[in-house]
Amino acid sequence: MVDDIIVAEGLVKRFGKLTAVDHVDVRIRNGEIFGILGPNGAGKTTTVRLLTTMDLPDEGRIFINGLDTSTQFVDARRRIGIIQQQHSLDKDISVRENIIHHALMQGLSLKEGRKRMMELAETMELTDRLDTLVSSLSGGWKKRVSIVCSMIHHPDILFMDEPTTGLDTQSRNLLWKLIRNLNHSGTTIFLTTHYIYEAENLCDRISIIDDGKIIAEGTPKELIEELGNVTLVRTDSDEPQFSYFRTREEAKEAAKDVGGEFSVMIRKTTLEDVFLELTGRTV
Amino acid sequence: MYNIFSEIWRISYGDLCFIKRHIPETLISALVGPLLYLLAFAYGMRSGDTEAGVDYVAYAIPGIIAISSMTSGYNATAQKILIQRLFHTSFDELVLCPMHTSSLIFGKTVIGVVRGLLGCIILLGLGMFLTDDLVISIWTIPIFLLSCVTFSLLGVTAGLLAKTGPTLTLFASVVILPMTFLCGTLFSIDALPDIVKQIIWALPLSHSSTAIRSFCLGWDVPWVSIGILLIYLVVFYLMDRYIILKKLY
Repeated sequence: MVDDIIVAEGLVKRFGKLTAVDHVDVRIRNGEIFGILGPNGAGKTTTVRLLTTMDLPDEGRIFINGLDTSTQFVDARRRIGIIQQQHSLDKDISVRENIIHHALMQGLSLKEGRKRMMELAETMELTDRLDTLVSSLSGGWKKRVSIVCSMIHHPDILFMDEPTTGLDTQSRNLLWKLIRNLNHSGTTIFLTTHYIYEAENLCDRISIIDDGKIIAEGTPKELIEELGNVTLVRTDSDEPQFSYFRTREEAKEAAKDVGGEFSVMIRKTTLEDVFLELTGRTV
Repeated sequence: MYNIFSEIWRISYGDLCFIKRHIPETLISALVGPLLYLLAFAYGMRSGDTEAGVDYVAYAIPGIIAISSMTSGYNATAQKILIQRLFHTSFDELVLCPMHTSSLIFGKTVIGVVRGLLGCIILLGLGMFLTDDLVISIWTIPIFLLSCVTFSLLGVTAGLLAKTGPTLTLFASVVILPMTFLCGTLFSIDALPDIVKQIIWALPLSHSSTAIRSFCLGWDVPWVSIGILLIYLVVFYLMDRYIILKKLY
């Protein structure tokens, strides 16, 4: 088994004059939860579509578990599972039929598919809903079905494109728990999100993407440390101003020099501060 | 070893489940149009013998079977793919599954082929009840199958290329509907002006109609029409393959 389960070099994807993904390099380590954080339209979904071989890059190369996706895409696809932003389920058939269909498409036998379906359905608390039509399920339940479908063939890596978008807090917490459990059982997770809290709490490492370019990469801790662990916020009637320091003492020293017309606050630096500094705006 | 039939079954499993759940709707929607043609044209407008020497009802029914193979095959396939692409976004996952492109293409035709074959067989049965001129041979099902697969492959092309529902409707209005009436289905194309006749002769439904009529009426084997239908089948398949491999959908 290779150390980096996904290696992408110099990925470029253009749509007419728009460069949606601009010379992106990605290295995903085996067994980690890797997140791409960025605002809507930053290039997250396009990056996922390229890495999962759904779209072809205009430039660059992708290796999944050492397999070159330009030539060995059938074998590479066996290694991956994907949960798209929209539920890619057939709404007109039942949960059971959808899951078995996915199992068959991944090359499992009917018997294997049924066995695996029952295991996963139990984990996802779906057993009572196997004969329900997908069209009558809520968003949270559809997400669970999507997870079962994407995990049916024991993929090495699971791609999740904004997995918690549109979910209520309860479903979101459950999904985070499931993602952690999947990861602990050995599945590498690649997720995209525009929720900073999600990236900070769930991911081992993250990349920040903006306008199709990766502008920072590291663990949440590393990215925050690089900026400064402590933030001094000065506020007057206009926009707040931020300064970053390695220690609280340094921030306190700096606060002494701030004029009396400002109100001052010292707090821990967050990933949102990192994002703001790098992009000039919030997610 | 690559087993295309196993892969086609795997790809089409979801569509087959859909048909199983909706058998009455599938049959009714596949048969209403052809039955109306039968009533309106075979009984309402014409009667008596044709120049071909058979009763008009016997002449028209194979044409109506050809229409049914085209509309059922094309519509079921094109609409399903369009919905899966644009609304369910599940087509991407089909493309992602580790199956061969040929299996994906033929797997997606299954819903159209099943609907088309059901319609063709029921219409032939009905036709045999109405007239003694229609016969069944060992070629009957294979020629129905060839016609249904060819037009379902065209449905795959349209379903992959259409950007919206109205685009698909436009294609059906401009290409499918004119073929329905003009390709020797309900009257002989010999009645048309030469230039029009040559254009219409080149269209696939003309050969589907000719081939089905020949076998259903016990005429000589129409090798030319079978050959041209096979060429259309290969061309549609290659187009679908190119669109999928180049991700032009």
